[in-house]
Amino acid sequence: MEGDVLIIGGGPAGMETASRISDFKRNVILVEKERELGGHILKWDRLFPDGILASDITNELKASLGNTKVILGSYLASIEKRDDYHFVAQLSSGEIIRCSSVVLATGFKLFPAQKKQEYGYGLYDRVITNEDLETRFKKSEGLGKEAPKRVGFVHCVGSRDEKICNKQCSKLCCITAVKQAIELKQLYPDAEIFCFYMDLRMYGRGYEDLYLEAQSKYGIRFIRGRVSEISQDQSGLVIVKAEDTLASRPLKITLDWVILMAGIISERENDYLTQQLSLQLGEDGFINSLDPIIKTDQTNIPGVFVTGSATGPKTLPEVLSEARSTALTVNEYLNKIKNG
Amino acid sequence: MVDFGFKLSSSNRIDLDSCDSDLFLKLKAESGTIKQCIACGSCASSCSAANFTGVNFRKTILLIERGKNEEAKELIKGCMLCGKCTLVCPRGINTREIILSINQYYKKERF
Amino acid sequence: MKERIIFGYDPFVIPFTLGVIFILLYLGTGTVRILLSLKREEAINLLSSIFSVKIFKTFKDILFDVLLHIKIFKRNILLGYMHTSIAFGWFMLIFIGHIEVILYTPQRNGVIYYPVFFRYFVMETSQTLRGAFFFFLMDLFLLIVISGVALAIYKRFRSVRLGMKRTTRLKTGDKIALWSLWMIFPLRLLAESFTADISGGSFLTSTINNLLGRFAESTLYMDTIWWAYSCALALFLFALPFSRYMHIPTEILLIFLRNAGIKSTSSRDGFAESEIYSCSSCGICIDACPMSVSGNKSEYTSVYLLRKLRRRRQDSLFMAEQCLMCGKCVELCPVEIDSCRLKLLKKRENFPNKIFDYDYLGKREPVVESRANLEKKSKVLYYAGCMTHLTPQIYRSLFNIMDRAKIEYSFMDRDGSICCGRPLILSGGENAAKDLVEANSKIILSSNADILLLSCPICFKVFNENYNLKGVKVMHHSQYINLLIQEEKIKLKKGDFSVVYHDPCDLGRGSLVYTEPREVISAAAILKESSNLPNESICCGGSLASRRFTQSERDSVTLHSLEKLNVNNPQKLVTSCPLCLKSFAKLNKRETLDIAQLVENQMI
Repeated sequence: MEGDVLIIGGGPAGMETASRISDFKRNVILVEKERELGGHILKWDRLFPDGILASDITNELKASLGNTKVILGSYLASIEKRDDYHFVAQLSSGEIIRCSSVVLATGFKLFPAQKKQEYGYGLYDRVITNEDLETRFKKSEGLGKEAPKRVGFVHCVGSRDEKICNKQCSKLCCITAVKQAIELKQLYPDAEIFCFYMDLRMYGRGYEDLYLEAQSKYGIRFIRGRVSEISQDQSGLVIVKAEDTLASRPLKITLDWVILMAGIISERENDYLTQQLSLQLGEDGFINSLDPIIKTDQTNIPGVFVTGSATGPKTLPEVLSEARSTALTVNEYLNKIKNG
Repeated sequence: MVDFGFKLSSSNRIDLDSCDSDLFLKLKAESGTIKQCIACGSCASSCSAANFTGVNFRKTILLIERGKNEEAKELIKGCMLCGKCTLVCPRGINTREIILSINQYYKKERF
Repeated sequence: MKERIIFGYDPFVIPFTLGVIFILLYLGTGTVRILLSLKREEAINLLSSIFSVKIFKTFKDILFDVLLHIKIFKRNILLGYMHTSIAFGWFMLIFIGHIEVILYTPQRNGVIYYPVFFRYFVMETSQTLRGAFFFFLMDLFLLIVISGVALAIYKRFRSVRLGMKRTTRLKTGDKIALWSLWMIFPLRLLAESFTADISGGSFLTSTINNLLGRFAESTLYMDTIWWAYSCALALFLFALPFSRYMHIPTEILLIFLRNAGIKSTSSRDGFAESEIYSCSSCGICIDACPMSVSGNKSEYTSVYLLRKLRRRRQDSLFMAEQCLMCGKCVELCPVEIDSCRLKLLKKRENFPNKIFDYDYLGKREPVVESRANLEKKSKVLYYAGCMTHLTPQIYRSLFNIMDRAKIEYSFMDRDGSICCGRPLILSGGENAAKDLVEANSKIILSSNADILLLSCPICFKVFNENYNLKGVKVMHHSQYINLLIQEEKIKLKKGDFSVVYHDPCDLGRGSLVYTEPREVISAAAILKESSNLPNESICCGGSLASRRFTQSERDSVTLHSLEKLNVNNPQKLVTSCPLCLKSFAKLNKRETLDIAQLVENQMI
């Protein structure tokens, strides 16, 4: 198969880049390893800050793909830059793809919460992750028929933590926790909800409002202290230990459910691709772009572009805007190699 | 000057104009990890001794940074050096080194 | 055999004689000083070990360790040969020299220099039987020594060929002693060759004498070379106390003291002094030390610490605080110097005892939460310890196993532990730790348990060594699970995946529990070996003993350890320590489990 552009990753970044490059009448091939396009938001129910349905966004993105050739359920086995302007890639299905440029829209991975051993994810039934909760929302299960009395959100699980080798802030979890806390409170108005945080980073438009709403309208309580240990009592409830740093006292609370805000980490499974293309990775494992301000979607290898969360945690609007700018950059590059 | 018997700056206030930074500078010179604290409280919450008494490492290093060494010292004298705080610290602070250094500092000064 | 010189004297013997007198005085005062510093009961032990059958063991140890260096042989044959050839060869040269004196010039018996310069003072030919026999022996041993010296010189430049990646850095005293030692034997060979036509010689010396031809006839050359030989010896003897070769005489004293069961009680004086001076700076501990993987940290290894202690340098404390106390250097030390104990003592001497305050523990009433009926005697008391609270998967799996085996147990520290005290002891706070030991003992004894079950090897070691629990059996969970399997209380199916087992330092080298975990694993999976022997397992990097290690330095130790563990490409890594589990899980790309988790997964 031949094309102008090969896009790796069929999440929002990949889909938007594909549809915008197709607008320039370019031949685009989009490869996604799952059986369905959409990436992480497939598992998400509603999106912050306004609660728009994630499925609406996916459908809209899918509808505008134009004549992009989509290959599902297949991943790149190898990729090689031949001469100056050509790449040859082989898919896991064995198919060979030739193209003039490559866009990495490989995204991120959610931190596997069982690696934070002291939180007991996988050991205790009532300790779940943000992703598990969204899946439950999507299936309209919530936290089960029996209304929980007390629920705790643990921020920064797998983020800002040297001990599990992820030092970066995942950027999205603060606002996601507030969103999910409000959703739970809407489902179970009598439940007490606690958020254990280190810093609340409410940087986006409307985020601070949501935080205020969570406090004043929903009575969600915010405790400044990182959770150090989670254990289980004999009845199966979970006991959370933290320091209430503002009161300078150790704190213990028994909860019905704990939701771990698993952070965003780099998709290390693609390390072999970045190695084959000799791309530069940062210490955090995300791909380094040529510079962090102007050339955010170019890499150290001409013809290889990067977009979306492959260069670090980003919100959905940021990802989509970047995807559009990447489409322009790629188009410029293709014009240049055709003319020159 | 007339002495009215009171001072404007109460002892309760943290006075960064004239604080005793000797100990903090010493600790900074050792491995320097004391500077990396983000005050998350993991150390104080996981602390084995804090179940029984008022040990609080986070507050200790905060107070030392602010020059309140005497108060700080009281907060770690019950430490059992078990090392849980070193294990949970998300910033990789060498907590046991700092605790021992504080106590050694006071050993030299007072005994 | 006739004497060549009537008075049996020549001025060239003066340097050597002075050297010998100096060294004998030095050793004499040193020995007396160490012996005087012994406590009364230690002195009695020493005497009783000398005047009993134990003396045979002492002689055997001296022969094997000091002369034959059997332990170094086991490590590397070339390295062993190097040490043996010099030590044993030299000893035989001196020994046979004395026999010659006693047999042939009994009137010179007791003259210090005579046995050493025997060849200069006598006339003989190799034609006679006695000449041929002794001269052959002397030449043979000289050849052996010289081959050892040649290896030693080679090792200085290409140490890897003798199984050592790194050798010790030398100080001035060491260098003088080293060079003079290298000079002694070639000079002796030359000197004896020059006189071989007069005093007789054998295959080496006579041959060289023939080759030298007319040179050998000049008395000027002859005298010069004997002077040089004597001076080299003198230089070596004078440099000896300031060099690492002091280990040669000191080790004999050390063996006597050690076989009397004496242990060090200070980091520098008394028995410790004999240990410190017994270090030969062989450098085996440098390669053994996990610190060596992290850049400049190799200068904190035991050999350099002992050197600092010898010179009473202040920074020896800083070095002791670096050590991870994994005990590998003690395990591999050919002289069996317990450097970890010296480090502990050094830290203990500087520990701020008066500041730590555990009065609050006294106020605590013993509470044991039991899932069994409290009235009934609970057989097993489980103590998680501080670290296992951070790895709940270990005790969850263990509880599931015990539930399946229908074992009644209580959880001593569900709501948080009083630390076992070992981290404090490792930092030098042996005295302060007594409060912790007392508080925990009170709880354990009030529980009426038969078995104290532990998951953490750090706790395991201290409960065995520092607690007096009056009949309560202390068991690590790997031992207990093995017992359950043997008693057929649980049954395992053998998985078709391969695992490698990491021996935690305090469980393996520290408490000699090697077989039980391996038996358990063999019942549950295919056990693969790592590239290290069980007793040479490498620290996971998490050790609580080091106060100075930074996080990144710990990580480099972990990666080094993992590299050795994963050498045979196992699918999983199994360990039996919460701290090791945490260190490895952070950086290992393969699945990392505790032994209890493995057993839980394979239970039928």
